Amino acid sequence: MRKVLLFVIAATVVVGPAAHAHHSYSATYDVSQQVTLEGKLVQFVFKNPHSFVTVQAPDQKGVMQRWSVEWSGTGQLTNQGVTRETLKPGDEVVVLGNPSRVRGEFKALMVNLKRPSDGFTWGGRTGEAVD
Amino acid sequence: MDMHKANRIPTAGLVLVAAMLGNALVFAQLDGSGPGRAPAPPDIAQEWRLDNNERDTFGQAPLGDYTGIPFNDAGRMRSDTTPESIWGTLEYQCRPHSSPHQWRGLGGAKILKEQDPITREVSVYHVQFMRSLDRPIFMDGRPHPPAWAPHTWTGFSTGEWIGNTLKVTTTHLKDGFLRRGSPQTTDMYAMTEFITRHDDILTIVTVIDDPIYLDQPYIHSTTYTVASGTSLTAEQCNGSFAENGGTDRHWVPHFLPGENAALTEWLVKGDPRSPVGPENWVPLEAARGGVKTIYPEYRSTLNGAVSINTLTVPALRSVVSPDTVIAAQSPRDGQVHVLPVQGNVYMLVADGTNITVSVGPEGVALVNTGGPQMSEKILATVDQLARTVVAAPATNRCFGATCPGVWGWSSPYINTIISSPSPPRSIRSIINTSAAADHAGGNEKLAKAGSGFRAGGLGGAVANVEGAPVIAHENVLNRLSAPAGKQAPTASGSWPTVTYFDEFYKLPTTFNGEGVVVYHEPAANTDGDSIVLFRRSEVISAGDIFSTVSYPVIDIARGGSVQGVIAGLNHILDLAFAEYRSQGGTWIVPGHGRLSDTADVASYRNMIVMIRDRVQDLIDKGMTLQQVKAARSSLDFDGRYGSPTGPWTTDMFIEAVYRSLQEKQ
Repeated sequence: MRKVLLFVIAATVVVGPAAHAHHSYSATYDVSQQVTLEGKLVQFVFKNPHSFVTVQAPDQKGVMQRWSVEWSGTGQLTNQGVTRETLKPGDEVVVLGNPSRVRGEFKALMVNLKRPSDGFTWGGRTGEAVD
Repeated sequence: MDMHKANRIPTAGLVLVAAMLGNALVFAQLDGSGPGRAPAPPDIAQEWRLDNNERDTFGQAPLGDYTGIPFNDAGRMRSDTTPESIWGTLEYQCRPHSSPHQWRGLGGAKILKEQDPITREVSVYHVQFMRSLDRPIFMDGRPHPPAWAPHTWTGFSTGEWIGNTLKVTTTHLKDGFLRRGSPQTTDMYAMTEFITRHDDILTIVTVIDDPIYLDQPYIHSTTYTVASGTSLTAEQCNGSFAENGGTDRHWVPHFLPGENAALTEWLVKGDPRSPVGPENWVPLEAARGGVKTIYPEYRSTLNGAVSINTLTVPALRSVVSPDTVIAAQSPRDGQVHVLPVQGNVYMLVADGTNITVSVGPEGVALVNTGGPQMSEKILATVDQLARTVVAAPATNRCFGATCPGVWGWSSPYINTIISSPSPPRSIRSIINTSAAADHAGGNEKLAKAGSGFRAGGLGGAVANVEGAPVIAHENVLNRLSAPAGKQAPTASGSWPTVTYFDEFYKLPTTFNGEGVVVYHEPAANTDGDSIVLFRRSEVISAGDIFSTVSYPVIDIARGGSVQGVIAGLNHILDLAFAEYRSQGGTWIVPGHGRLSDTADVASYRNMIVMIRDRVQDLIDKGMTLQQVKAARSSLDFDGRYGSPTGPWTTDMFIEAVYRSLQEKQ
């Protein structure tokens, strides 16, 4: 089994609304922990039931990994102004997410995303929590 | 502890039973039946809105909540070690909710009906949910398929009206979960639903009978109200890449036994994403499920008056015998059963062993030949199948001057031709996926009954030669034959005549209109295993690398290894496609057991990976083979795939895994 220690930060927990996910987020992710991923976006899949952002970012050992970050479905994101054109492969982004509960899994639940090049941000505003 | 809250757990079951009994009493009075008059069932075909507001109906069921589930140790272990992340694997990301949970999923339900235009009787109900498949419920009296037919997410459902209650019986279900948050089922469960309409309310009482993970059936009820005119969203799924991150497309997320430390988080800390706070009023014992915790008698243990160990509760055992239903997938009944698969391909179940058959105008190709005792019956079945598929007598479709074609006229002569078509071409090739006696034992007789092609050389004619070629990896020949001067284990007539040594072997030309590729799977069950891909029919014959009735038989002495079996299963998954919603598409014929698809192979692969990693963990902790066996690291899968006796026991499998990993080091 792959071993990687996530660099986790004690979280200030944001209580979200009752979610309507396909699976249980709290069973999938440790929502009391957070991980920061800073790197290049290599894939953005705008889809249902959940969109995904793939970011190449280092793990704690500095080894570059492909992190799969789970985001909202198309309906919720569209209502918040995010479209399939919003993010492009090659974008440099900073993602804050809740890590997977499974050791060695490079997966996270989106808490917020920032694109420094143009100041785009998602997360933190009313309703901007993965539902 | 709040006793009022605690009392809610055991009384839930009573309420459901009372509801069911109530329904029975009501339909006896109100179904409109009378002398000479059939009862008139209510119309349930319309849109419905989910009306429950319970934890597992609003999406955030917490990890480790097994309250009300009559889990046994195996069910609990499987659920503890199977994470929700499994949804992210390539093969599962588009699967719908499992059937036990589907009524309690989100988005409402739409029920449609098909009616016979003459009698106006309902022949099929279709139930549709937002993220699921169309689920037919057949009302026309058809039987359930044989046990070797595929399992699906929605299963095979038949219905009958009992008064004003529709009783739906569902079999052939894939493995999945009882509710969100990961309480798991095997693929051996059956489901019975009682669907009752009272005015604008639809009540569904669901009984899930999993004889492997549950000590008795798990029962829940769900309520819907009429939502006529609403448009049910049909959400598509276009999963196309692993959602688990990393670069390992075969990644299987799982927890080692004891590793999942978050199972009681919901009791102690609560779920920060949920409005429900810590639920420390729930006894840990009840949170972990178990048959004794779901009865009212459990209350007597809460104040310490009675120990749960001495508590007795009514026994309501499963009506399903796991050994019987598993064995039924691969019956050792001395018969040959035919299951049409896809395109040119059929699956024969020959006394417990599967044979894959391609039938078409160019003849017959067989993948494996079964045991030697079955050869005559296999030949007779293949001949009958070929005549039916390729050369079935047909009625004259025209007569006299209305007949098109070269004759332009019907005549008794033409009718004679129609009633006596040319015989189908014979067995043209045989492929062995291994040297196992139950797969290659019929080589000699079946090859003799066939005929291969022989090119006539430069300017020569193509001609038939006696006997069909037998194709296999060269290590199969090595196993079936012997070095010069030594006694071979099998007669020379059963040996492969065309061997290959490379990564794959392509049949020289297309056969029945499609390419056929034989792939070597190194160091899997043995050192000579192959799988066979029928490229146009989209069928893979997997041989013993995949079975739905046992753990893989790994012969370490003959070059097998658990890593090779996993690699072989991953190769199958790389080659295969799902059709939609993570099921169907490429069909996979296992060496033994029911016809399967990518999700079934993934489930089997996941199981072996989990056991491999558990054994590796115990090895890393310095345990001996005996200690590893005693640790029962495959407890959650033994009831499904293991056996305490017979030619391939659980202990033998664990030893093979252990030795594979030891040899790796």
